[in-house]
Amino acid sequence: MSPDPLAPDPVLSAEDVSVKFGGLSALANVSLQVPSGRIVALIGPNGAGKTTMFNVLTGLQETTTGRVRFNGADISGWPTYRRGRAGIARTFQRLALFTRLSVSDNLVASWESSHRGGVFGRGRSLRQERVHQVMELLNLWPIADRLAGELSTGQGRMVELGRALCTDPHVLLLDEPGSGLDVKETAAFCDVLRTVVRGPSAPAVLLVEHDMTLVMEVCSALTVLDFGKVIACGSPEEIRNDELVRAAYLGDVSVA
Amino acid sequence: MSAFYPFIVIGLFTGSVYGLAAMGVVLTYKTVGVFNLAYGAVAMFCAYTYWELHDHWGITAWLAMPILFLVVAPILGLILEGLYRPLAGLSAEVLIVVSLGILAALGALVPIIYGSQDRQLQAIFPTKTFVLGSHLHVGYDQMGTLVVSLSMAALLWALLRHTKFGTSTRAVVDNPDLADMIGVHGDNVRRAAWILSTFFAALVGIMISPRQGLDIYQLVLVVIYCFAPAVLGRLVSLPLAYIGGLILGIIGSILSKYSNSGTVANLEAAFPYLSLFVLLVVLGPRLKEVGTATRRLAVAAVAAPGKKKSGASATLFAIGQGRWRVGVDRNLTLGLVGFVLAILVPLAVPGPRLLIIIGGVIYALIALTLVVLTGWAGQISLAQFSFVGVGAFTAGHLAGSHGQHFLFAVLIGMLLSAPLAVVVGLASLRLSGLYLALATLAFALVMDTIVFNRTDVSGGLTGISVPRPQIFGISFTGRIALYELVVVIFGLIAVAAYALRAGPMGRRLHILRDSPLAASTLGVNLTVTKLVVFTACAMVAALGGSFYGAWTQAITPLDFMWTASLELLLLVVLGGRAVISGAIIAGSVVATQALPFIPVEVNKILALTIALGVIGLAQEPEGTARMTARQTMHVLAVMKPLPKRYRNTLGLPAPSGAVPDPPVDRRVPAPAGSGEGVSSHVA
Ligand SMILES: Nc1ncnc2c1ncn2[C@@H]1O[C@H](COP(=O)(O)OP(=O)(O)OP(=O)(O)O)[C@@H](O)[C@H]1O
Ligand SMILES: [Mg+2]
Repeated sequence: MSPDPLAPDPVLSAEDVSVKFGGLSALANVSLQVPSGRIVALIGPNGAGKTTMFNVLTGLQETTTGRVRFNGADISGWPTYRRGRAGIARTFQRLALFTRLSVSDNLVASWESSHRGGVFGRGRSLRQERVHQVMELLNLWPIADRLAGELSTGQGRMVELGRALCTDPHVLLLDEPGSGLDVKETAAFCDVLRTVVRGPSAPAVLLVEHDMTLVMEVCSALTVLDFGKVIACGSPEEIRNDELVRAAYLGDVSVA
Repeated sequence: MSAFYPFIVIGLFTGSVYGLAAMGVVLTYKTVGVFNLAYGAVAMFCAYTYWELHDHWGITAWLAMPILFLVVAPILGLILEGLYRPLAGLSAEVLIVVSLGILAALGALVPIIYGSQDRQLQAIFPTKTFVLGSHLHVGYDQMGTLVVSLSMAALLWALLRHTKFGTSTRAVVDNPDLADMIGVHGDNVRRAAWILSTFFAALVGIMISPRQGLDIYQLVLVVIYCFAPAVLGRLVSLPLAYIGGLILGIIGSILSKYSNSGTVANLEAAFPYLSLFVLLVVLGPRLKEVGTATRRLAVAAVAAPGKKKSGASATLFAIGQGRWRVGVDRNLTLGLVGFVLAILVPLAVPGPRLLIIIGGVIYALIALTLVVLTGWAGQISLAQFSFVGVGAFTAGHLAGSHGQHFLFAVLIGMLLSAPLAVVVGLASLRLSGLYLALATLAFALVMDTIVFNRTDVSGGLTGISVPRPQIFGISFTGRIALYELVVVIFGLIAVAAYALRAGPMGRRLHILRDSPLAASTLGVNLTVTKLVVFTACAMVAALGGSFYGAWTQAITPLDFMWTASLELLLLVVLGGRAVISGAIIAGSVVATQALPFIPVEVNKILALTIALGVIGLAQEPEGTARMTARQTMHVLAVMKPLPKRYRNTLGLPAPSGAVPDPPVDRRVPAPAGSGEGVSSHVA
């Protein structure tokens, strides 16, 4: 039930966060940590508050209580764009691509937005290099010239991931990257995810995902939300055996 | 308190009409997802029709009324429904453009059908007065209006509460797709909503007109009053809209108690618009766009088939090199040729007609600011001419009566427009789509009433004069010199815009429009970006305004009214709001008056044609510019076969019998029968 004592310092953490929509308590005193270099998951049934938590972490949602820390600093008051530049990148549950730009320009725009002077066209060679890398990594070359609005969901999710990677993030928040993907695409996505977190300057990942096999396979720790409350957190082993989680979330889904 | 009593009563009378109009507007917004900016025009059209039937043909009111309410209004409602049906689920921008097109079309139709003189509509109720309470004189017409309005509001309420129509409406509002599935006939509900709404418009039209006088734009303006109460009801609550109308009427009436002095009179006139602006900004983020459910399906249908092209040929070199779509503007050579030709125009048109063409060039410059703002950055503005006005009046005062250097006056005009642009820009941080359009409309009207209306600013209806510029010892008093100057200025700014479009800044405008939320998570400071865009566009508009003043040499507030901004948007949509060529076409349309074969009388027809063109082209960001390019290519193609890639880019039909090349990366052979398909991606 307790977080792994051996985990490295959290790169991103939420402390005691509460969010209310009118009478609805979407998050109630939720804390969670993303240790650097790890993939951790945030799971829970529909409407549990996962996306709301992402919005809090990226500054798109105001909180009633609680703080967000990034590399030790309190960033609760930071506007969204500042968090983006500092190294918090995310994808969206409902795709939010720049539909009228080509795939490569989606990545370029992302690099320009997150890097100093990018919008004045500075650092072109660095930009080319990074975009090239990401395109290679996610195998985006075949669709580089397509308009992002014309892509399938699977391709779109890849482009969103690529767009997030182009900001050179310290932490990557992925909101249901597997939804809308077929089996093959999911497998490919798993592989990509593993490559992404390898390497010295690789980002930590916070993953929201309904696909339990995927989650159990790649994550080192999980936090389980239900109705805005944390009902469990720990290693995949612990979560699998947690009675509360079984009752609230996993139901009769076999995860053994 | 008792001193206010008469004003409150009087306010109730006017307010009751606003309330009725507000309900009519809300009705279609909540059931169909269409905010009918042309609502006032519909009311106006109905009032004119009634005038024609009753006052002109002499048909008795007992027959004219049923004709109006049971024949004309329903037909008009059905026409509107038909116009909007294919647009279900499209972006707010398209819907706004269409409703403005309808506004302009009705505004053009009335003079064609009924003649353009002002009319006086006979009162439908007796105008005698009776004494209410101790000393308040009330007209029977006012009382009648209140009674009709109240009973109509009650009737609508009963209809929605206690009939099948009510439940069906709620089902459709809630979830159109689901409603269809459970057997509610969504189309019928939508038709009924349009008919009811038009019915209300007709009522509003004939109840307001006897007092206001029949005038095309006056009535449109009065109905804009009712937008504030509609917004107060968050555009979905009918009772709140009605009550908001009453409150607005009462406040207006109380303000009129103090409106003897100039400033307060202006404030009173501006009150409805000020309150609309403030309400929008305050309620901003809580205002939801209705009709998203309808939207989803339709959007899916539009976006589905991946009409694709070009292969995996992207090279590292191509990334971020402006290889993406700059549309029909792509052809720089053509632009250069055009520029040289433009420089040479005075050789062909030396006479006074050149003067009109100068106006066209200046108009194109102003239009260009709207292309950048609306077409590229996706921020709809119905206030661009307010900034033009700031530039023009500043030039008039500084370069004219104060004898300052013209360039200095231009600079000050641009600087003065900046803080005003920031106001609009700040509003745009909280608003988008329809609500931003309404806010800019309100802003333009506020500028009209409290700034341009002041005689010390604008010289009143006689206006002020602006001198022709004298720069670095060169006098631009002559036609030809002035012409060359404005062409060069336009050329410079167009080149700047083009360069901006193809670089990182262009991408930033793009992503601001496509998904501002995603852009901000990547590190884009939306506040700064939007303010910069609004300010830059306003400053260039002010620059255009200074030259506009220098061109006409005499300016009045009428030149910069909200209708001018509206016309600008329509012309830019017609030309192509996403391309520089669109601005040039807009300017050319204005310059057509220089053509010898277009006599003045044709203007009405031209206006109608433009309005209809706008309705037709609302979904085509490249407007007629794209068609023009396509036609040119057709002609060229006849003369000489083009390389295939050009043909496909411009959506030319493949030569008969030939099958278009399959895309390079397509592994699967093209299915039989797809041969006649033309790969026509938006260039
Ligand atoms: N802007 C909002 N206004 C009001 N309620 C909201 C808003 N956003 C979310 N909610 C509510 O807050 C709760 C949590 O929503 P959230 O989207 O965070 O859930 P989720 O865990 O991401 O669910 P899912 O698995 O369906 O994506 C839900 O009940 C939702 O209806
Ligand atoms: Mg979610």
